[in-house]
Amino acid sequence: MKKKVGITACSALLVLAAAIGGCSSKPADTGTQANPQSKTEAQAPAKNELTLGVNGDPHSWDPIDTFLLDWSTVATSVFEGLVERTTDLKIQPGLAESWEFKDDKTLQFKLRQGVTFHNGEPFNAEAVKFTFDRLLGEEGKKGPQQANYASIDRVEVVDEFTVNMILKEKDPVLITKLAGYGGVIVPPKYYKEKGDEYFNTHPVGTGPFKMDSYEKDNKVVLVKNENYWKKGQPKLEKVTFRFIPEATTRLAEMQTGAIDIMKKVEISQTESIKGMSDLELMQVGSPTVYSIRFNTSMKPVDNVKVREAIAYAIDADLIIETLLGGYGKRVNSFQSDMSFGYDPNLPLRNYDPEKAKQLLAEAGVKEGTELDLFLPGTDATFKEVAQAIEMQLGQVGLKVKLNLVDASTFTSDLIPNGKAGHMYRNGWGGWTLDFDNTAYLMYHKGEFWNPDFYDEKVEELLKAERSTFDQEKRLAAFKELNQRLYELVPDVPLYQTINLWAVNKRVKGFQPPADERIDLREASVE
Amino acid sequence: MAAFLIRRLLHSVFVVLAITLVIFVLVRMTGDPVSIMFQAGEPTKEAITELRKNLGLDEPVHVQFGLYLKDMFTGNFGTSFRTGESVIDMMKEKMGATLLLAFGGMFVALLIAIPVGIISAVYRGSVADFFGRIFSLLGISFPNFWLGIMLIIIFAVKLGWFPASGYEGLEYLVLPSVALGLILSGILARLVRSSMLEVMNQQYINTARSKGIKEWLVIIKHGLRNALIPTVTFIGLQFGTLLGGTVIIEQVFSWPGIGRMLIDAISQRDFPVIQGSVIILSFLMIFVNLLVDISYGFIDPRIRQGGGKSE
Repeated sequence: MKKKVGITACSALLVLAAAIGGCSSKPADTGTQANPQSKTEAQAPAKNELTLGVNGDPHSWDPIDTFLLDWSTVATSVFEGLVERTTDLKIQPGLAESWEFKDDKTLQFKLRQGVTFHNGEPFNAEAVKFTFDRLLGEEGKKGPQQANYASIDRVEVVDEFTVNMILKEKDPVLITKLAGYGGVIVPPKYYKEKGDEYFNTHPVGTGPFKMDSYEKDNKVVLVKNENYWKKGQPKLEKVTFRFIPEATTRLAEMQTGAIDIMKKVEISQTESIKGMSDLELMQVGSPTVYSIRFNTSMKPVDNVKVREAIAYAIDADLIIETLLGGYGKRVNSFQSDMSFGYDPNLPLRNYDPEKAKQLLAEAGVKEGTELDLFLPGTDATFKEVAQAIEMQLGQVGLKVKLNLVDASTFTSDLIPNGKAGHMYRNGWGGWTLDFDNTAYLMYHKGEFWNPDFYDEKVEELLKAERSTFDQEKRLAAFKELNQRLYELVPDVPLYQTINLWAVNKRVKGFQPPADERIDLREASVE
Repeated sequence: MAAFLIRRLLHSVFVVLAITLVIFVLVRMTGDPVSIMFQAGEPTKEAITELRKNLGLDEPVHVQFGLYLKDMFTGNFGTSFRTGESVIDMMKEKMGATLLLAFGGMFVALLIAIPVGIISAVYRGSVADFFGRIFSLLGISFPNFWLGIMLIIIFAVKLGWFPASGYEGLEYLVLPSVALGLILSGILARLVRSSMLEVMNQQYINTARSKGIKEWLVIIKHGLRNALIPTVTFIGLQFGTLLGGTVIIEQVFSWPGIGRMLIDAISQRDFPVIQGSVIILSFLMIFVNLLVDISYGFIDPRIRQGGGKSE
């Protein structure tokens, strides 16, 4: 009797196994599953095909709708702008062969000839005009991109391959903006025929790859654009981006060989990757910088001596070395060293607890004074950094209270309303790789993320930097600005992050991008 | 019965309205979607204000709510801030994957819980019962996030039996279903065990035995059938828990369902998607509860009569 119950249970399990096996959509799998070493059909490495595991789905492919890094990660292969950025971040001609300022308000582009969109539509001056009319008009209002191109008044067609961009005001970073995001060129005929909603999921550009299929939250498959204007590129036949939000799952997929490149490796995962002979850990400096920002209207951090003391009391080198596993770089201002305007000669405030104590005493700050430090609760790495800061400030007599809050509430509500305590984590990307936007939005009075800081000299320098196209003059203004900010200490720059990637060694010619815009034109698979 | 049904339906409508209001207000208290839309960008204050206006977020909350309710009654749950796609279409697209996973989880749970529960009850106090109870306890105690990752490491990375993530065919359903089902199977196995114990002590079981019916037939036909009544009710009530569980499991296994859509929408503060999907999910939950209530009414006339008296 007992046996029979057991048999019934076992049979039920077998039925399940058979049902699952029998229902498999891939007949080839059944033979391979018995052997742990073999890969399923979907995972079998195929020549000239590459699969990447990235963390997020772009959701909307329309360039004017989005400002997500997840978009640029994939869409860089589909869309192109008038200019482009090389993997070492230099600006070079893209769909425009050359450009020049005819006068202060007229920027003329000579367009590349013989380029076609993926649907066969020709790329020409009309396409450029259509793209910017759309971006700057009613349709552009639904997304965040319009704001970036506010300095453009209109685009005029000069002839089939020449356009004039008429500017409302000087915008020294306009050229860098045109290298991506909202300024990429879209096909007018296709867009008008298919409509907005269709374009959102079936994008067409001039890029090296065209979209083959897209399954939201699952994957996007791109295939080679045979008519790509750059001869000999791309080398790959097919590229699949799989959207895998969990880093642990991405690593598992890397280990099973289901993906060849993994984006966003966590520091805790580096040892596992180093331990696998077929994988390579690649690192690239990112434009993202973290700092501790002060609410300069709150006592006692309204006193510059207190802010300076805190800067001396934090041992950023130790934090980078121990908590970040060395994957971070010291910075002397709130920008990465790849940003135009970074001054490598500006000194760092190195760890000096004695000096910190002395400054606190001069400022009359009593031992045990309590300070709030706000940070987003989801940032596990920075939570450890904050704990280290709590301990280090404790050593100079300051008591830090850590406040972990929801990430979105933190950036969209607490910071702009000056409710993020005496100090908070400030993280910033700086997509134009020019200090202009960062500096302006962080230190110009009344900006969204600057509820309290104000300095007349800073305002003057910001104005000076924006009023000229002369890069020498701008650099001089930035140098002075960096110096002024160094003295005022509105924040303590901690480190520039380093992004980690895992790459299968069979992939050749892949360079991880600093700005997350993956360029696969030179990539190939052995 | 008609009065009972009408009362339950009115009750459901009230609950839906209450949920709509709570979700609408709560979502708006969690921060501003516009500043988050500029993830990689550096918007000026003017740009943020302008986009907020374009999305209708500058209106007072009660005006926004009025407009939303009006649309909702015509079946329009709004469009995503990020994609411009209608929330209903997004839900339709994702619902299949989520339900498939929920049913897969339930299937695994039943497949494990019923034999484990029966064996535990029939051999009460034995080694099998001991392990059965330990198993239930483990099932209840495991966080499903951790369990999911462990299954990936063992069955995808080490053994290579199943794919680790994504959704291409039915073999992709196995690991997430097991992760989801294992948790539920712990609770279910306990329930099956205690119901079986209760049933097996009933007089009619002894009567069946005394008729000389084979023991396994007594257990399955007379015991299990009766013990399943509370189990089925419990499953109905667990539907919500199951959908909740899929949120985490979908994230771990990159399963393209509603759970992941909701997590993304929350992190991006895509208000229409959060509101719409929570409201539609609560419709579903209320509907399932309504079915359970109605079936109670049919099974147990006392519930129906008790309800009738209060009017």
